[in-house]
This record gives sequence, C-alpha cells and structure tokens, in this order.
Amino acid sequence: MMHALLIAPFETLGFMRTALVACAALALANGAIGTLLVLRRMTLDGDVLGHAVMPGAAIGFLYGGPSAGWLSLGGLASGLAVAALAGLAAGRRARDDAGLVAFYLVALSLGVVLITWRGSNADAMRVLFGTVLAIDHRALIQIAAISSVIVLAVAALYRPFAVGAIDPTFLRAMRPLLPYQAMFVVLVVLALVASFQAFGTLLALGPMLLPAAAACRWRLGVAASIALAVLFGLAASLAGLLISYHANLPSGPAIVLTAGSLFVVSHALQGAMQFVWGRA
Amino acid sequence: MAHARNDSEAGPIVLRDVTVRYGRRTALEGVSGEFPPGSLTAVVGANGAGKSTLLAAIAGRLRLVGGSVQLPAGSRLGFLPQRAAIDPDYPLTVAELVTLGGWRRFGAFRSPQASVRTEAMEAAATVGLGGSLKRRIVTLSAGELQRALFARLMLEEPAVILLDEPFAAVDAQTTTVLLDQLARWHRDGRTVIAVLHDLALVRAWFPTTLVLARRCVSWGPTESALPALAS
Repeated sequence: MMHALLIAPFETLGFMRTALVACAALALANGAIGTLLVLRRMTLDGDVLGHAVMPGAAIGFLYGGPSAGWLSLGGLASGLAVAALAGLAAGRRARDDAGLVAFYLVALSLGVVLITWRGSNADAMRVLFGTVLAIDHRALIQIAAISSVIVLAVAALYRPFAVGAIDPTFLRAMRPLLPYQAMFVVLVVLALVASFQAFGTLLALGPMLLPAAAACRWRLGVAASIALAVLFGLAASLAGLLISYHANLPSGPAIVLTAGSLFVVSHALQGAMQFVWGRA
Repeated sequence: MAHARNDSEAGPIVLRDVTVRYGRRTALEGVSGEFPPGSLTAVVGANGAGKSTLLAAIAGRLRLVGGSVQLPAGSRLGFLPQRAAIDPDYPLTVAELVTLGGWRRFGAFRSPQASVRTEAMEAAATVGLGGSLKRRIVTLSAGELQRALFARLMLEEPAVILLDEPFAAVDAQTTTVLLDQLARWHRDGRTVIAVLHDLALVRAWFPTTLVLARRCVSWGPTESALPALAS
C-alpha cells in the first residue's frame, strides 16, 4: 500500500524519476538563493526578474524552437538585461515599484504574443507554467549544472552577500574588489532560468521563494535557514509530484501549492509558539 | 588597544568651495575650510542646513557640483550614517557585527584572525556590550545597536571618523558611553567630525564647531562659533 503510494510512481515511470531529480537539484540551489533573497528583502525584485526571463525565452523559442538550450539562453540574456536596466544590481533601497510592476506586465504580455505568433497555445502554456514531467536528459543536465554553480558560488561568496544584505553602505565603504551585489543578481537570474525549465515563467519564483520564506519564519541562523529551505524544497517536490500523479493534477502548480502550504503551516506554528511562550 | 595616529602622512581635510545640489535645490554652497589632523569638530545647523550632505561629501558619497574635498593621502575613513541603514532583522549576532569592522584585515573570504576576534570582544566590552556578544541584533535597542556600531567603527581603525547624529534616538547612558569613546578617538589623534543638534553637548565636548546654513556661517573655536547660531 505504502509502496504503491510513495515508491511505485517513481519505480515504473522514467519521467517521474527525472522530474524528481530535477526538482531536487533545483531545491538545493533555490534553498540558498531563496533564503538570501528573503533576507535581503528582494522578493519583488525576484518576481520582476522571473518575468523578465519571458521575452528572451520567447525569442529563443522563435529562433530555436522548444529546445531547453535556446529557451534558457534567451531567458538568461533578457533577465540580465532587465536587471542591468532596472538598476537592481546597484543595490538601491528606494525603488520605483510601479515602474517595475509595469515592466513585468509588459514583459509577460510581450512573451506570450511572441510565442503564439509562431507557436501554439500549448507552447505558450509550456513557457508560462513549465513542464516538470517533460524534462529530458539534456534539460536535466543543464538544471543540475546551473544548480551546482549556484551552490558553489553562494558558498564561496556568502560573507559579502550577507554583509551586502545587512548593511550595503558598509560593504561599499570597504571598497570590495568585486561587484558582489551584481553577482548576486546574476545568480538569481541563473536560478530563475534553471527553475523556468520546470515551472515556467509564472511559477519559477514559487519553488525558490516559498520554501525559503517558510524556513525564515523559524528565525534560525542563516546557514540553518538555508538547510531548512532545502529540506522544505525537497519535501514539497516529492509530495507535489506524488499528489499530481495520484490526483491527476498539473505537477508544477501541485509542487508550488505544497510549498505554499509549508509556508502557511510554518507561519501559523510560529505564531502559535509566539502566543504560547510569548517570545519573538 | 587603539594605536596613536600621529603619522607624518596625516594632513588636514581641505574643503574648497564645496557645492552640492539635489536637482534644483542647493544643499551646500561654497563651503571652504580645513579640518586639521586630530581635530574634534561638531557640525551644527537647522534641519536642511546641509550637515549630512557635508559628511557625505567628505566621505566621497556624492558628486560635487563645484569645489573639491581633499583628504590626506591614504587616510582611512570611518563613516557612521544617521540611523545606519542596517537591516536589524538579519540573523546576525553582536559579535559578528562588531567583527565585521576588521573587514580590511580578513576580506571577503578568509575567516577573521584570532586577533580581530579578541579586538572585537574588547571593543564590545568598551561600549558596554561585553555580555551581549551572542545576542541577535534584532533584540537590541536603538542605543545598544548604536553601541555595537561604534564598536565596529573602533575595529576599522579609521584616521578620519564621520558621525551623523550619533546620539539621536539613543538613551542618556549610552550617550555618555559613546562620548567617552569619542574622547578616546580624539586623544588617539584621529580626526573626528560629528553632526549634532544638542548644543549643550557641543559646548561641553567639542573644541571646534562648524555652523552651517547651506553655506558656512561660522567655523572655529566652539565658544566663538556657536553664538552665530543662537542669535
């Protein structure tokens, strides 16, 4: 019974296994990037960048068809271009929120128009919501490679990233040799491009943000928060895939919903604990 | 712990006709003068008189429309902005925050040397946070956070120290502790420039005062410079 419920779907279906491995790789990268994104109060920036990937991916689609490589390359290019244009890399606290939101609506619409111009509605759906269950080996390798780069980069650059989050003025005064703020934004775009393969432009931020936001509710140290975010991400991926299989639901949204419920539960439990013990 | 800084390299900070505009609004107009090495100067004036702008200009944080700021060659600058833009929610301990002051000695990658850690503990003790090293900064009061930031500044070993309203939103006891540290920096021969609005405090602690009202109203020994503001 348990076997049929939990193991059999992965045992019998290759695409379920591939999806699980891809989600696990994403959970590792997303745990690190997502936690820093939440701690740096940059979640709106993440949202904007997630949509910024869209027009580039659409152009990649027009050029190379629905191949993982072209979609990612286009998405990476437009994500980075937007990050540079919007000055996200400059690390300003005061931003033009209305401008950013206006921009991401335009980017989204432009992407959909570009894709439906040459492709089908199914192609548009694919770019918007991703195809966790249709990840091929090339896409899997790409996701794993990007995730590895991200995890290693965060490990190496953790201190400047953290200091840039706590006190950007201080970091600038120390005259660092490398533009760490810009490097962090590049990593965010990379993570979104990897996540985009599986979850599409609308949901790519979900598996990055929700497990991290849930983990940060517990007010642990940074390293512990990242570890917990990775754990939440893995749990949400596994549970989401199983739910989508048994209930015949779309898998990307199922994973994001599971992660979302982890956030709600964390929030509620933390609130309850605060109420009972009266501690912050 | 602090090393005297009367090196021969130390020259004055020279302002020549410093002018700053934000859009069409003039924040500073033609401010000229010198902060001699080792001087302790209060910058006073009404709101919008350009006090914070002057500090930012000395720190090289904004572009001058005209004039120049000349710093002694190779001098280290320590700048504590008003209500430092610190994110107090970040899960960081007091010890970690203070240790960051030694950044120039360990940089982005190496772990802080034992000597830096010891210095951080001593600095925290000096500002009365010796028992709070393990506390998260989110639990600190405004006064305690300011004490921690002063301790961090101590580790930076700056030759020039710029403080923007360091005692705003800080309790009286903390003010006393921080003023003691200010006096220590002054004794070490560091140049200290602080924006203040408490004139009694300026009279009691600061030998030199610069009165600003977008331009320089008066600049000199406190007893002769200050009346310009009162009248």
